[in-house]
Amino acid sequence: MTKQVKAYSGVINAAIFVVMEVAALLMLSGTRSLQDIWINRASHRTHAALWRSGENIRNYFTLDKQNRALAGENLVLAEKVRQYEGKRLAIANGIIADTTQGEYRFIPATIVKASRNSQHNYIILDKGRADGVKPHSGILCSGGVVGVIDAVDEHYSYGLTLMNPLISVSARIGREGLVAPLVWDGLRTDRGLLKELPMYYDLHPGDTVFTSGFSTIFPPDVPLGTIMRPSEVDGSVQEAVVNLFLDFKSLRYVTIVENTASEEIAGLEKTEASE
Amino acid sequence: MRIRFYIFYIILVALQIVLGNYLDLTQYVTLCFLPAMILALPVGYGTIGVMCIAFVTGLAVDFFTHGILGLTIIALVPVAFCRRWLIAMVFGGDVLSRGEDISIDKHGLAKSLLSILIATAIYLGIYIVADGAGTRPSSFNALRFACSLVVSTVVSVFVSHILKSSDRWS
Repeated sequence: MTKQVKAYSGVINAAIFVVMEVAALLMLSGTRSLQDIWINRASHRTHAALWRSGENIRNYFTLDKQNRALAGENLVLAEKVRQYEGKRLAIANGIIADTTQGEYRFIPATIVKASRNSQHNYIILDKGRADGVKPHSGILCSGGVVGVIDAVDEHYSYGLTLMNPLISVSARIGREGLVAPLVWDGLRTDRGLLKELPMYYDLHPGDTVFTSGFSTIFPPDVPLGTIMRPSEVDGSVQEAVVNLFLDFKSLRYVTIVENTASEEIAGLEKTEASE
Repeated sequence: MRIRFYIFYIILVALQIVLGNYLDLTQYVTLCFLPAMILALPVGYGTIGVMCIAFVTGLAVDFFTHGILGLTIIALVPVAFCRRWLIAMVFGGDVLSRGEDISIDKHGLAKSLLSILIATAIYLGIYIVADGAGTRPSSFNALRFACSLVVSTVVSVFVSHILKSSDRWS
């Protein structure tokens, strides 16, 4: 007997076997209610397992869509939290008017391309001029500052990430501590360097570093990371390695943040400079 | 012609029905020699033919014994389905290719006992689970399976021997 005939015969045998077993099951379920319940229960369990598997597969293929929806939801919530935080601080400081509300505009975006292995790393996002993105806007994610938009095309934008020596973020140690520039340490995807700290300042490992809000790019109080190891530089200043909350290796969804008052501030600075 | 074999086969099915109806040893023992009878069918029979015989045999036993139609069929048809594989595994593939019938006299008690043990285990495994219908604890089912397997295998060896002897006389 050839292999093909053997296989064919095996399939027929199996099919007849299944038919006979199904017939026996039907007889069994029709004869006794106990067996009927048992068969129904087994059938329901099988259905449930099949549906669950199907649902898992469907969920897997719609993960991207769900992530986008979550990123959008996250953006709305983050904006609300910032507004409430601004109001709270304003009330705590005795300021009546709320000046923070509506100062920043947020646009969710997905990373199209990102470099991580060179010394001058960049990022390309799927949102451009048509979506309202402007150059010199900040790029944020839930883990902190990602970078700054450098150039904008119609549907895409090009940004420099924090993993680029050209980018420096104005950071503050704690909510009300010292302000210093935060740059990339040039080695790892999740490490930064807080520079130019005066010697008298007492640094504590584990202290959280936030954005200062002194630049017109990023809103204040965005958590960036925690201080790891402070060290002296030339005996005159000190610097500290910062363990960033965000890891560039696992980045996918970001938020472009635009300071709506940046042009007004820049205009004011220009007027002051000309005078 | 194997008329005597078939007469003995029918008598043994009838005996199984009688035992099923009147022999009430204990709830832990289910005496059944139908798997051995399926194994004793001529090796030359194809799987489909043996499955049909198993189906009809099971139907008759179910119909005349407890009135639970399908219970014996559901356990006996898998034995028929696995029969060729079981014979090839225990007695060797040559037995199948030669179409040589298996018997205790020819192949020895050990191999016959092993084949009957496996066939009976398949049968009892399915039968006990389907009979319990998820209402009995696993420990009870396991004990029932073990006791029934021992008793049924011993009886099945004799039944198989009787069937094969009848085949020789014909």
